[in-house]
Amino acid sequence: MQALVGIDIEVKAGEFLSLIGPSGCGKTTLLKSIAGLQPVEAGRITIGARAVTGPGGAEASLVFQDFALLPWATALENAEFGLRLRGVPAAERAVAARRALAKVGLAGSFEQAYPSQLSGGMQQRVGLARALAVNPQVLLMDEPFASIDEQTRRILQDDLLRMWSEERKTVVLVTHSMEEAIYLSDRVVVLSPRPGKVHRVFEVPLPRPREALDVRASGEFARLVDELWRILKKMQ
Amino acid sequence: MKFAAVQEPAFGRGGLAAIGALLAVWEILGRMELTIFVPPASAVAEAWWGLVSTGTLAKAGASSLLSLAKGFVPAAFLGVALGLAMGRFRTVRYLLDGWINALMSAPLSALVPVLIALFGIRDTVVAATVFLFSFFVIVVNTMTGVRGTERSLVEMARAFGASEAALFARVYLPSALPAVMLGLRLGAVQAVKGMVVGEMLISLVGMGERLIYYGNTFLIPELYAVIVSVLLVAILSSTFVQTCERALVRWK
Amino acid sequence: MKVALLRGASLVAFLALWQWAAWVPVSFNFPTPWATLAALAALLGSGALLQATATSLQSLVLGFGAAIAIGVPLGLAMGVARGFGRVVRVYIDLLIALPTAALIPLVILSFGISIAASAVIVFVFSAPFITMNAYGGVRDTRPRLVEMARTFGASWLQLFGRVVLPSALPMILAGMRLGLSRAFLGLIVAELLLSPFGLGKLIMNSRSMFEHDKMFATVLWTLILSGAALALLAKLEGRMLRWRA
Repeated sequence: MQALVGIDIEVKAGEFLSLIGPSGCGKTTLLKSIAGLQPVEAGRITIGARAVTGPGGAEASLVFQDFALLPWATALENAEFGLRLRGVPAAERAVAARRALAKVGLAGSFEQAYPSQLSGGMQQRVGLARALAVNPQVLLMDEPFASIDEQTRRILQDDLLRMWSEERKTVVLVTHSMEEAIYLSDRVVVLSPRPGKVHRVFEVPLPRPREALDVRASGEFARLVDELWRILKKMQ
Repeated sequence: MKFAAVQEPAFGRGGLAAIGALLAVWEILGRMELTIFVPPASAVAEAWWGLVSTGTLAKAGASSLLSLAKGFVPAAFLGVALGLAMGRFRTVRYLLDGWINALMSAPLSALVPVLIALFGIRDTVVAATVFLFSFFVIVVNTMTGVRGTERSLVEMARAFGASEAALFARVYLPSALPAVMLGLRLGAVQAVKGMVVGEMLISLVGMGERLIYYGNTFLIPELYAVIVSVLLVAILSSTFVQTCERALVRWK
Repeated sequence: MKVALLRGASLVAFLALWQWAAWVPVSFNFPTPWATLAALAALLGSGALLQATATSLQSLVLGFGAAIAIGVPLGLAMGVARGFGRVVRVYIDLLIALPTAALIPLVILSFGISIAASAVIVFVFSAPFITMNAYGGVRDTRPRLVEMARTFGASWLQLFGRVVLPSALPMILAGMRLGLSRAFLGLIVAELLLSPFGLGKLIMNSRSMFEHDKMFATVLWTLILSGAALALLAKLEGRMLRWRA
């Protein structure tokens, strides 16, 4: 049984796209395929001009739900990790990593902390900094805030939007949360399960910058969430 | 975890194949007569059979197994009891864990001369050595098992008004059981090691004595035969404990 | 505070028990705690103890060093090449199940009564545990970390050096600690049986001359020595693994 069939999506440059759907719809598989971790049997994935043939390309980097930080490395060393693997010299690495950590709000004394000394939210910031430090075209995020408490999650979501509006990277985010999908994205792709197919592509015409406006309180937001819920409910 | 993980041996079908390969290589190397210290497996098998038929192995084995039982059974009962107490009551733990930890990683063989001073050169020393070698492993594993009981389970039982005894029997004990069993299995292997060390040092009875004897008299195939027998005793002891364990679980 | 009190109390209780044992006729061989300490001081003063220690440590360092030098790479190889690991694991499991002391007469026959023999015995006692711990450390690498490194383009060598090896380090160090305690065990058994060397010789000589206070003193010294070595290793371990929660 194939995980995904007939996926034909075009993601615009600088767009914020979410993937949502019930369990078994293959959203994580799709994300990993874009990252090059999962081979594609039929068809192609291209980022920009280049086709994705394997992991570790310069085009995309991944942010994980369980943070996937090296426990024996400091926040700075973790943020440098992608650059280190690419052979970037130490001084340059540190500069880039520090810049990335600053972008995610972790400048200063946090650099020397080990993951065991950091809260979940802070660890994910490090994970995000690591992904940004290699300057990818596409940021892939696999339920990045699922293991984080709601209050921290909201702060992180706003910080993510702030960072995104500055960097204008293309983001593909997998989530279970309808609110998160609507709040963050330009478009939401709803996948249906067994096998995974594109069920609907959902436009989110809410104004930006959403972190500055009180978007969650608006009637439009509630309506969109409700519409998304209806779509998902029918699939259960 | 404070104590290094000693993984349990896992012998499966693949294991038997690997052992078979070892025996084959052994036979070949032995036939090549590279050194008198490596006789072919067949010579060892022959010697082994010889020991069995003359009753030597039976006599030595019986003495060894008796000492093993005399040492391991008290170690098991006392070890589990102490481990439970130490796991459950902080006071007991603070009183004794210094000793337990210190002795667990100490070269217990150094204490055998002390045991000889205590008991004289008798087979009681062997049982005492068996006890020492297995006791601490059992205590530590039992204690870890009890301490690893989920706090939420204990609180839940307390909320339902469970008495101390009920708490022990229905929450701590079942939760600690896998660790206790692991401790007993590891203890069984350690017990056999203690048995051999004790017997070799007093050089009086049992399979350990035979090892010294055949070593001194250069009877090498016989020496190997006893080594293999000792290994079998070790494996069988552990298997025995495992079987008891399964029987206990089924009975529950 | 309470903890220290309890620990102190148990030490006092132990000494009292020991003192009592020395008086009771059953174990008339027992020297009193005081006599033991006096003998210990005498032995240290005469240099006999330190000389014996130096000899013993030679075998220990040789055997334990070899066990690390061979055991760790072997364990790592076993973890990386799974098929190899599955086969070799059987032999090592057998070595671990086997009462290693049983191999001592064989080693003595092959190597004679020498420091080499003691070193080999120490090696056989400690190497299997070091190997299996290194093996386990590699196998326990979190798959997620490997996946993460792959997304950043890690080569096979980088995966091994930057993810697997640091990840396995805690277990490797724990294995060394276990190996060291086993090494001491093997050393003492070897020397008690071999006699011409080191601390074991001192113990056996004192016993045969009925100088029980000297014997107890040497045993005590041996236990202190091994305890100190293990504590040192544990401290080193703590230093290297500062990042742990």
